[in-house]
Amino acid sequence: MVEFGIEFVPRDLYWKTTFYSIQAEKIGFDYLWVTDHFNNRNVYVSLAIASAYTERIKFGPGVTNPYLAHPVVTAQAVATLNEIAPGRVVCGLGVGDKTTLQMVNMEQTKPLSTIRESVHIIREIISGRNLEMQGEMFKVSGAKLNFKVADPVPVFIGAQGPKMLALAAEIGDGVLINASHSKDVENAMKFIGNGVEKAGKKLDDLNISAYTSFSIASSYEKALKAVVPVVAYIVAGSPEIVLNRHGISMELASKIRDAIVHGRWKEAFSHVNGNMVEAFSICGTPETCIEKIDKLMKVGVNQIVAGSPIGPNMRRSINMISAELFPNFKE
Amino acid sequence: MAMEKIARNIPTSLWDVASEKLIDIILNSPNAGKMPSDLAKTILYYWQRDQLATEVGLQRLLEASTLLEPQKTVSLMEELGLSEIVVMLKETL
Repeated sequence: MVEFGIEFVPRDLYWKTTFYSIQAEKIGFDYLWVTDHFNNRNVYVSLAIASAYTERIKFGPGVTNPYLAHPVVTAQAVATLNEIAPGRVVCGLGVGDKTTLQMVNMEQTKPLSTIRESVHIIREIISGRNLEMQGEMFKVSGAKLNFKVADPVPVFIGAQGPKMLALAAEIGDGVLINASHSKDVENAMKFIGNGVEKAGKKLDDLNISAYTSFSIASSYEKALKAVVPVVAYIVAGSPEIVLNRHGISMELASKIRDAIVHGRWKEAFSHVNGNMVEAFSICGTPETCIEKIDKLMKVGVNQIVAGSPIGPNMRRSINMISAELFPNFKE
Repeated sequence: MAMEKIARNIPTSLWDVASEKLIDIILNSPNAGKMPSDLAKTILYYWQRDQLATEVGLQRLLEASTLLEPQKTVSLMEELGLSEIVVMLKETL
């Protein structure tokens, strides 16, 4: 059975994000993911308050990155959240958003080693063990929490490229495939299969999530207007191999990236075309969204994350998901 | 006190619709930053417990909407045909 997650970007006031989190839980979402960008409200503060007003939904950063937050700090944060909401916490980890990291002159150095070592550190710290580690990216000498963590915190790894997908499947409890199109997910499944095989795990043991950019509305035009800025960011951060798969030129992607980095939003968004929207989002009326979710499920996904923007009007779009989407997928 | 009295005068049959529309006004207000944190947390408390369409929930929603969007709140009460409440609201603004 497919599960559903929802992503919120804490650009909004804290009480709005919390209001929508409560709404998401009420209508039956299984996971709440909150993004982590230094220029928005803090992810863990946002999650802490959302957790205080919810009772069932699982939640976590979606995703944090080890370049801005050392894995011991991430471990500490999710461990503390687990005290507030036992057994409901998950940890989404990835290499971060290239565009935002560039703003603080941070490079995504050796992403595979960084993620592999980060996952190890997070798990060890949460387990309560005293960590000694001389890794390629991280050196830790006798790090240990001063409190016990009662529940395991599953680590989900955000991935898009072949090597990261394989690594995520190998070492993660879940993979957050950064994709909205079944073609990308189908392609990702090959590498996920490799990772699972390397680890000697079963594919069924892994939570395989399509972390989509999602916009639902009563008309395509309304949904489109909301999704264009998000698609611009995705195009700007996508590797060449993914852009090629959808026939999107590197030149156009570079133009979008450059415009975003320099804050020329209107220009960046004007370069987004229908092909990009189709490739990088689930966008449209409920019928269109159902069709695209169906395709994702057929290629092996067991969690659909409805990522930003959700729709032109957050509250109505969440209600639309409840009324028109969930009856097709949830009992 | 004034909002408590106003909320008490909203007929039960209109609690659901009034609550829905007040929530829309509050969430979509460009003045949302004016919301006092204590009031926001009280609204979240009632929302979690499905009590926004009750007398006490409506009272809190009215407090928020008159603070963020006084004119829209008055217009909503007019739209709902609650002329007595319109008068009461105008007295508080």
